[in-house]
Parts: sequence; structure tokens; C-alpha cells
Amino acid sequence: MSDCERLSDRMPEVARQRAAWTAEEAAHLASCADCRAEWELVLAARRLEARGPTVDPTAIAAAVQRRLATERTAGRRNRWFWATGAAAAAAAIAFAVTREPAARPDVAPVVAVEADPLVPLPELEGLETAQLDTLLQALDGPFAGASAADSASVDDSDAELDQLLATWEG
Amino acid sequence: MSASPVLETPSDHELASAYRAGDERAAAELVRRHAPALGRYLYSSGALPDEIDDLAQETLFRAFRRLDSWRGEASFRSWLFAIGGNVLRDEFRRHKGRRVLSLQDRDLPDRADPHADLAAAEAEEGLRRGIAALPRLQREVFLLRTQQGSGYAEIAAALGTTPGAARVHYHHAVKRLKELVR
Repeated sequence: MSDCERLSDRMPEVARQRAAWTAEEAAHLASCADCRAEWELVLAARRLEARGPTVDPTAIAAAVQRRLATERTAGRRNRWFWATGAAAAAAAIAFAVTREPAARPDVAPVVAVEADPLVPLPELEGLETAQLDTLLQALDGPFAGASAADSASVDDSDAELDQLLATWEG
Repeated sequence: MSASPVLETPSDHELASAYRAGDERAAAELVRRHAPALGRYLYSSGALPDEIDDLAQETLFRAFRRLDSWRGEASFRSWLFAIGGNVLRDEFRRHKGRRVLSLQDRDLPDRADPHADLAAAEAEEGLRRGIAALPRLQREVFLLRTQQGSGYAEIAAALGTTPGAARVHYHHAVKRLKELVR
């Protein structure tokens, strides 16, 4: 540590008159412009502090205590509010969980309807046995519902196809 | 014949403990003990004189709200001043940096040599402006060092830095202020 640093470290104590310069330090201070400038600065800062405004500690203490008391009261009020709210919510949940199912509001019952896999066309169920037989016979016949002319044209087409194939095969 | 009991002044630690235990008078005593120095610190840091009471009150209010965070690594006063620095910073931000330090009428001396005293007052006001313009850590380290006589370890504990860094901040502050004062 240099002489300047040592002197710098001692300045606050000497400025507060809790210590005094040694002869060696005083000699350094007299010969070092940098240290002198710093020393002047430290003294000026001390003077600045001394010139600071005076505050009224009693008034400040009273104001601070009032604010702390107000905050404590508000804190208690908040805690009470939240505790009451939490208790009310817990009570509401408990009531909802434990009440009778009959007390539930009327809701249309949901009935599961399973479709019979053997009757893909439910409208057939309303038919008499005789009607069903008639229907089945009609379905078994060739091209049920088709006109005689339609059938002939189909047959003709088949004959034409056979003839064409025979021509290709030679 | 027994010796009369010696009434010792309670330490800041004892007062803080008493306040935590519910003794409101302990808080009042801590305020009485530190509020004047806090006011001067805020003034030196650049606070306007008519705001000092409110700022000191806000600083102490915040300090008592989180008194549990003061564990004694730094002195109560240094810890309090660090909170004061936060309050001042918040105040500065609230006014978006528009605050202007002014030479108050009450700052003017009324003594035998008004010209010399006025020059001294202006020089000090210039220094106050210079201190207020320093970066926050430089300002706080400089004031804690020069006005409170705090050591670097103590300052570091109060401001949440290291003693080495506090020393560097101090020297930077001194360098800047020397240029300003010359």
C-alpha cells in the first residue's frame, strides 16, 4: 500500500477528529497535491453534512409508528377477509359434495340406446311376416324393380360381348 | 450497601430485538437515534430540503417493515442509509429525473463576511450536485466513508458488495469529485 493509499484510509477518522495526522503523514500531505485535494474533498463532505437540514425525530417517530400500526390493522383485516372467504368456500364445497342426489336439479335422463346389429333397417320391423316374404322374394329375383326392356338390353349386351371375345380369340 | 445499577444505553441490536418483541418505544428510540443523521445523509445525497422529512419517514417505515432482514453484518445506521438510498432512487424515478437541486435561501449564511460565506455555500452546493450526479454505489460509498467514517467492510456489508469493490467505488468517486471541485 502506497503512502497516498494509507493517508486516504486515515482521512475519515482524522476528519471526524477521532485521530490526528502523524508528523510523517502531515509531511506527505504537505508535499502531495493529490492527497491534499482528496483531503479538502473529505473536509468539504463533512461540512456539507453539518449544514444538512435538521429533522424532528419525535414527529418522524410518531408518523412512522402510525403508518406501521395502520399497516398492521390492514394486515389483520386482510387475513380475516381471506380466512372468512376460505371458510365460506370450504363450506360450499362440503355442502355440494354431501347433499342428496334427489336434490339435484331436473335434468333429462340420458338413456343409452343400442342399435340391434341384426336389423340395420329399423323400418322393416313394422312389416308383417307376409309383407316381409314378398319383399324378400322381390329382392331374390333378377334385377328386382327393373323393367323388361332393361333386362333385354342387358342380355343383348352380354351376347355382344361374347361375340366380340370370340372374334378376338379367332 | 449494594451499588446502584448502572443504566446502560441499549444497543441498536437490543432495541431492534425489543421492537420485534412488540416494544413500540424501542422503535421510537431507534428513530430518535438515527433520524437526524439520516436526514443529513439524504440531503448530502441530493434530496431537496423540503422533502427530507417525508423521505426520512419513508426510509424508517421501510426499515421497520423489514427489520428481520437486518442481521447485524453492517451497523443499523449503514443499513438504514442503504434503504435511504433506495427511497431516494425511487423518488428520483417518480419525478423522472426532473428534480433540480437549488440553493435554498435558508442555506445562505448570515455572518460577518457574507461574500466569502456565500462563495463557500456555493462551493458546497456544487459539491452536493456533484455527489448527487455520481453513480449510486459511488455516491453511497463516498458518503458512508466521509460522513459516517465507515470502513470498507462495513460499507460492503450494508450495500451488498465486497470491501475491494467498495474501495474502488470510493476512489472513482473521489477522482470525479476532485475534477468537479477544481
